[in-house]
Amino acid sequence: MPSPTCYLLLNPAASRSHHRPRLPLPAAAPPRRLVHVSCDARRTGGGGGGGGVKREAIPAGTGKAKKQVVFFDAAPPVSQRGGGGGGEGEGEGEGKVARRKKENAALGLVRRLTKRTLSLLSNLPLAISEMFAIAALMALGTVIDQGEAPSYYFEKFPEDNPVFGFITWRWILTPGFDHMFSSPVFLGLLALLAASLMACTYTTQIPIVKVARRWSFMHSAGSIRKQEFAESLPRASIQDLGVILMGYGYEVFTKGPSLYAFKGLAGRFAPIGVHIAMIFIMAGATLSATGSFKGSVDVPQGLNFVIGDVMKPKGVLSFAPDVFNTEVHVNRFYMEYYDSGEVSQFYSDLSLFDLDGKEVMRKTIKVNDPLRYGGVTIYQTDWGFSALQVKKNGEGPFNLAMAPLKLNGDKKLFGTLLPLENSGSSNVKGISMLARDLQSIVLYDQEGKFVGVRRPSSKLPIEIDGNEIVIEDAIGSTGLDLKTDPGIPIVYAGFGALMLTTCISYLSHSQIWALQDGSTVVIGGKTNRAKLEFSEEMNRLLDKVPELISVNEKKIDSKQSAT
Amino acid sequence: MLFATLEHILTHISFSTISIVITIHLITLLVRELGGLRDSSEKGMIATFFCITGFLVSRWASSGHFPLSNLYESLIFLSWALYILHMIPKIQNSKNDLSTITTPSTILTQGFATSGLLTEMHQSTILVPALQSQWLMMHVSMMLLSYATLLCGSLLSAALLMIRFRKNLDFFSKKKKNVLLKTFFFNEIEYFYAKRSALKSTFFPLFPNYYKYQLIERLDSWSYRVISLGFTLLTIGILCGAVWANEAWGSYWNWDPKETWAFITWTIFAIYLHSRTNPNWKGTKSAFVASIGFLIIWICYFGINLLGIGLHSYGSFTLPI
Repeated sequence: MPSPTCYLLLNPAASRSHHRPRLPLPAAAPPRRLVHVSCDARRTGGGGGGGGVKREAIPAGTGKAKKQVVFFDAAPPVSQRGGGGGGEGEGEGEGKVARRKKENAALGLVRRLTKRTLSLLSNLPLAISEMFAIAALMALGTVIDQGEAPSYYFEKFPEDNPVFGFITWRWILTPGFDHMFSSPVFLGLLALLAASLMACTYTTQIPIVKVARRWSFMHSAGSIRKQEFAESLPRASIQDLGVILMGYGYEVFTKGPSLYAFKGLAGRFAPIGVHIAMIFIMAGATLSATGSFKGSVDVPQGLNFVIGDVMKPKGVLSFAPDVFNTEVHVNRFYMEYYDSGEVSQFYSDLSLFDLDGKEVMRKTIKVNDPLRYGGVTIYQTDWGFSALQVKKNGEGPFNLAMAPLKLNGDKKLFGTLLPLENSGSSNVKGISMLARDLQSIVLYDQEGKFVGVRRPSSKLPIEIDGNEIVIEDAIGSTGLDLKTDPGIPIVYAGFGALMLTTCISYLSHSQIWALQDGSTVVIGGKTNRAKLEFSEEMNRLLDKVPELISVNEKKIDSKQSAT
Repeated sequence: MLFATLEHILTHISFSTISIVITIHLITLLVRELGGLRDSSEKGMIATFFCITGFLVSRWASSGHFPLSNLYESLIFLSWALYILHMIPKIQNSKNDLSTITTPSTILTQGFATSGLLTEMHQSTILVPALQSQWLMMHVSMMLLSYATLLCGSLLSAALLMIRFRKNLDFFSKKKKNVLLKTFFFNEIEYFYAKRSALKSTFFPLFPNYYKYQLIERLDSWSYRVISLGFTLLTIGILCGAVWANEAWGSYWNWDPKETWAFITWTIFAIYLHSRTNPNWKGTKSAFVASIGFLIIWICYFGINLLGIGLHSYGSFTLPI
């Protein structure tokens, strides 16, 4: 049995309070002398505890406790509740919330209609069915091919031979399921869900905060025993329990024979944050959809374009900023390759010039590393083969434009023809040159027979049909995507908040009530999430609460427990 | 070559060890008194965990990028995540039913990964330009961790449903399916027996339904905790993916099939979490939703890849570039 000084050493916070009032023994206490360790609430801080000492009458509970006068150590305001009205934590807040809502209505603060709409929207089954409907529509959106021409659907879902016996193209085109994610049905459901989110936050979650922020003591053993976790420890002191709870990270408040402790209050509030973050993301996405500009452009190396010429507004709120006058010059476009010949990265060296022709920015962009300037973002997304510089018999160089031959899939093929006869004849024959990338050019003669492969960098001549061909250079073109998106900051704020709040939501809010009932301490507790871990923790914690013995037994016992 | 041999050896060691572990589990199911075997199966799990970790590390070293570029690597990573999930409660020293789910799951994922189906994928592939980003590590690892966690959680819920409606399933037990059922729930059954025998000795009134109820409560509580964790990871994973997409493709959300299904998964588990706030739906109904979630995860993880549509198909993963 450790002595009180042991505790003070273990928990210096307790010893910091100058004033440790020896609590008067309750009237109902047995004649045995108890060891008392004062357990000031942390909030009172260092020596400030003295100011908080009040004398206060505690209403008699339904239990054994008689009316008595005790010291009240912990300063924070307490919502006093009748001793018998136990079992009213915020977990049972639903009833209270409803009551509060009624009060509000009675006060006329909320109009009846608004209230009815709100309660309708914040209805849980409705919200769940909305989510189910949205999930189903999204699944449908991945099953039905999106964004095809109407004729595609006429063919795939014909009227005379419906899929599953009833699905014709009318089922798909009428509600706009050919472009599911922008169809009015889907967007309407999302808007409804957003409304439900807001209504739920307003009518259910915020009142729970109000309830949860008030903390209360329980004054009857009966109500404590009704908790999900309940235990009674004979011959224990509530102060010891308080110290141990503090060691486990609980906020502890004591008042006479009663104790209240809680942990993880943030876990109770975080779901509100989740909802608010969701609303942020939805608002940001709406702004993105209505207020952004998009454009894509294919620029050969060495040429330039003006940003504003490329950008197309996406919605009614799209206003062109000044940066749209900026001119972009593609200084260089090149690729890097792995040893196996596959492309490892695409690079575009871009320069930005303002209206006066002054270079304001220069950056080499690549996939995953876009250029950002004044709200405009330029992405590397595509590439092409613009032209081939060829020398024929020492003449030239000629620029031969490359034509894309096969673009389906990720394999590209470009080709060009170097005419050998004079262009006047009707049947033009020449040297065909094909390329899959900028690295190697495959050459065929007039008959279409394979001659050889040349790299533009090697400058090695090749002899075809009596002509000496040198491939001087391969000029690529870069495919750039441009966009402005005013919704990004809001969406990102929502993302950050959502990540943080879902993490915090994993915490569970645990509450513990205890009451010194004679020499016995009655302990009850509950938690909102980790129920099994909570009871395990409680069992571990209660094992540590020392058993109190009267003074003459103490010396022998403290020796034993010191080991 | 050295790395290839090392990887080969490590996968074989881990797969044989996990097979032995499963066998031990089955033996302990039949003969319950062999405590020593139980411990050795735990050691086997730890050994397998280190083998898989070694495999991933050597993959990382040999390819020079985070080993999550194709389906094979992602499956191995999934089983690694399942081991992690298996280990965490062991470290915290809290008793739970998770190992019932994690052990068979790891053997199934590893068995599938190392089976002949995916041999052409065993080689480490090069990274296409779109994947060359630090976000790869964050996004894909978070997604796979969340898949592993959610799969475990939803399997716990499925187990709850099975036990809840065991009466109806009893007629299967006359047939051969009994064995299958037992294999799946051996730990539960074991727990069930242990609890019963423990309480018998303390002269408690014996209501078999009470133990069933208690077991269901435990399963419910655990699946809730595990799914909450998985949901958090899934949220982080999806949002990291969105930020990455904004860097690489120019838009944080493209309604790509994989994205859409990840969002469907997210919605289903959001429904699960919400359904638990209603006391009437807690238990069976929410467990039903979680079991749907199990199917959805597989569609999201596998179905989309098999169809090879969209921007997320591994193996043929390229931007139209």
